Amino acid sequence: MNITSSLAKAASLLILSVAAHAQTATDIVAASDNVRNPPQPFRATITFTEFIAGKEQAHEALALFSKEDPQTRQFRNVIQYLEPPRDAGKRVLLDGQSLWFYDPASKTSVRISPQQRLIGQAAVGDVLTVNLGLDYSASMIGEETIQDAARAERNCWHLDLHASSDRAVYNHIDYWVEKGSFFPIKGKLYSDSGRLLKIIYFRKFTDRLGAVRPTEEIIIDAVDTSLATTATFSEQAYLDIPNGWFQREYLPRLNVP
Amino acid sequence: MNGAHAAALLCCGLLATAAAVAAPPDDDVALIPDEARQQQAPADATPSIPGQRIYLEAAFSAASPRGNPIVSQPPTPPDEWQARAFLDVRKEWRLGSRVGLTLSDRLNLRDEADISFPSHEDVINDLREVFATWHLMDRTYLDCGRINLKSGVALGFNPTDFFRTRAVVEPLSADPTVLREDRLGTLMIRAQSLGRWGSLAVAFAPSAYAPTPIYGNAALPSFNPALDRTNATNRFVAKDSFDLAENASSEVLVFRKGAETLFGANLALVLGQKVTAYTEWAGGRRADLLVDALHYGHMTGTLPAGIGTLLSTDPAKRFLSELSVGASYTTERKVTFSVEFWLNQTGFSRSDWNNWFTLGANRALSPQIRGALWYLRDYALDQGEPIAAHSVFVRVNSVDTFVPKLEVTGFVDADLADRSGLAQLGADYYISDHWTLGGLITANLGARRSDFGSLSPASTFLVKVARYF
Repeated sequence: MNITSSLAKAASLLILSVAAHAQTATDIVAASDNVRNPPQPFRATITFTEFIAGKEQAHEALALFSKEDPQTRQFRNVIQYLEPPRDAGKRVLLDGQSLWFYDPASKTSVRISPQQRLIGQAAVGDVLTVNLGLDYSASMIGEETIQDAARAERNCWHLDLHASSDRAVYNHIDYWVEKGSFFPIKGKLYSDSGRLLKIIYFRKFTDRLGAVRPTEEIIIDAVDTSLATTATFSEQAYLDIPNGWFQREYLPRLNVP
Repeated sequence: MNGAHAAALLCCGLLATAAAVAAPPDDDVALIPDEARQQQAPADATPSIPGQRIYLEAAFSAASPRGNPIVSQPPTPPDEWQARAFLDVRKEWRLGSRVGLTLSDRLNLRDEADISFPSHEDVINDLREVFATWHLMDRTYLDCGRINLKSGVALGFNPTDFFRTRAVVEPLSADPTVLREDRLGTLMIRAQSLGRWGSLAVAFAPSAYAPTPIYGNAALPSFNPALDRTNATNRFVAKDSFDLAENASSEVLVFRKGAETLFGANLALVLGQKVTAYTEWAGGRRADLLVDALHYGHMTGTLPAGIGTLLSTDPAKRFLSELSVGASYTTERKVTFSVEFWLNQTGFSRSDWNNWFTLGANRALSPQIRGALWYLRDYALDQGEPIAAHSVFVRVNSVDTFVPKLEVTGFVDADLADRSGLAQLGADYYISDHWTLGGLITANLGARRSDFGSLSPASTFLVKVARYF
């Protein structure tokens, strides 16, 4: 048995284990986090496609390196832009509240806030790998049958997530998690003022990194609904990522192989 | 109601609570574009070469000279127009598991009102960086070559960016964030160690050339690395970078230039989801900008002897500080507002300005002396120093402004002493992943007898198109 299949089994067991005991809203969010995020350090390519008034406009791509911090259990992320060519090489560190943007053209690292635009309709906080259960307190609204992105009906728990840490990007989230599978299906993201900002659908559930996980998010701008962005995850692979990557001073030295 | 009925109702109630609640009509799915719904997964292939950016840009600019300036600018009039094309290359190579090479270069072709065409002045190559990196051991690196070493956290003015002096070459924009892209590195050797505690870096840049006069626009070297600009003095810097808290990080620096030692520190904070704040300071025992300019002008033979006697100067060195304090706020609609206050104790005092204008307004003044007055301001620009003692910098950046793919950036750099300012408004439209169309308008605003109001040109406009590869 190679390491990959061992990790895959361990990940599946972990998800099933959490799922078997999931009763409370908090448990459900934790189980859903385990569906979205693998426990071991990994890399992935995220391809963004922007749609304006229903028409495909542009493609953008990032290389994502993600690793769970054993102390906080939150993910640390480093990103390098791959596309478009004008942005290639730019890097972002997303480690809790330590968010830095590095541009090799100006050799400058600038501290950024999670609200700042990363790409398309996706803010920094939308793209980073994050365990929602750690940044939001969850409560159960009820059970609902909703349509997923493909208009298939899904029997879901409807959860209300309220920001409980400074790392939370949104004030609160309406979150739908499918019963039984713990697949995240849909999220509605709200600002401090209660304004609906974005609607996110999770889809294309595929066997990746040892478990069936969503490999695409559709992010709809709720303020200007003619704008939408898909974020597609590919090239996922476990990778031994040194802790040294997750600090500002390493950004100039990061170079995606 | 009997017991059986009560039990039945209770059961119904419990069942109703436990059963899935029927979802209300949900129109959200209809917001998903059909093209997005039908989109196929991208192929598992890295789309581009991550360690490089290559682009070709063409730009045309025209300027409006200021009419009747209070201190006229000899000997050459400001450019009325400039046409420019350049190939910009930044590339990183891995030469082995522990060795890398970085190149950053811009080849310019230009023509403008005060340059004959064709001539060697039409072709200028800016070798910004070329250096080798050696990964010595775990988290320890050695870099050697021409390196653009940048420090600081502020957006507009970085007091701790000690290697900024004489480095900016031929900028198309006055935006400080763009100026950093158009600057030459310094020949140096740098060692850096990264640890859980942060990073410690030391760098030494040797003196390889004697100081040279400030380059005029019509006398730039063509194929010359211009190391005289960046390596005319022995310079050393040590920098410690560390986190104070999850949302707070800091740098502490010591910089030695010749016999002068400066100290620096900066702090950057994230305050919630939308706000970042920062402060950056540098200080040391030194002369002010005016004295430095006169000294440099005499040393390089640019200024005539005795010019110093016409201006009231205090050659004594004393502890002087430079400070930048600011914050940025990002709205939910992707608009970022930044405000910065700058203090420059080396800059012109009110009496320096009075002397400058009083002397310059004298119509009987010789062209040589008038040229010397402008030299003082050229020196500040060349050094990357704000000449004002107190300034405010306000910058707004908006993504997807009015229409998607239109990024608009505007800023004002205002001298608080006389309320004059440099204002710029620019827009970039991302036509496609490879093409960008842009333009900007820059204006020096203020009274005739003010910092920016005395500058010519009064305004400049520029259009550009870029093709990225």
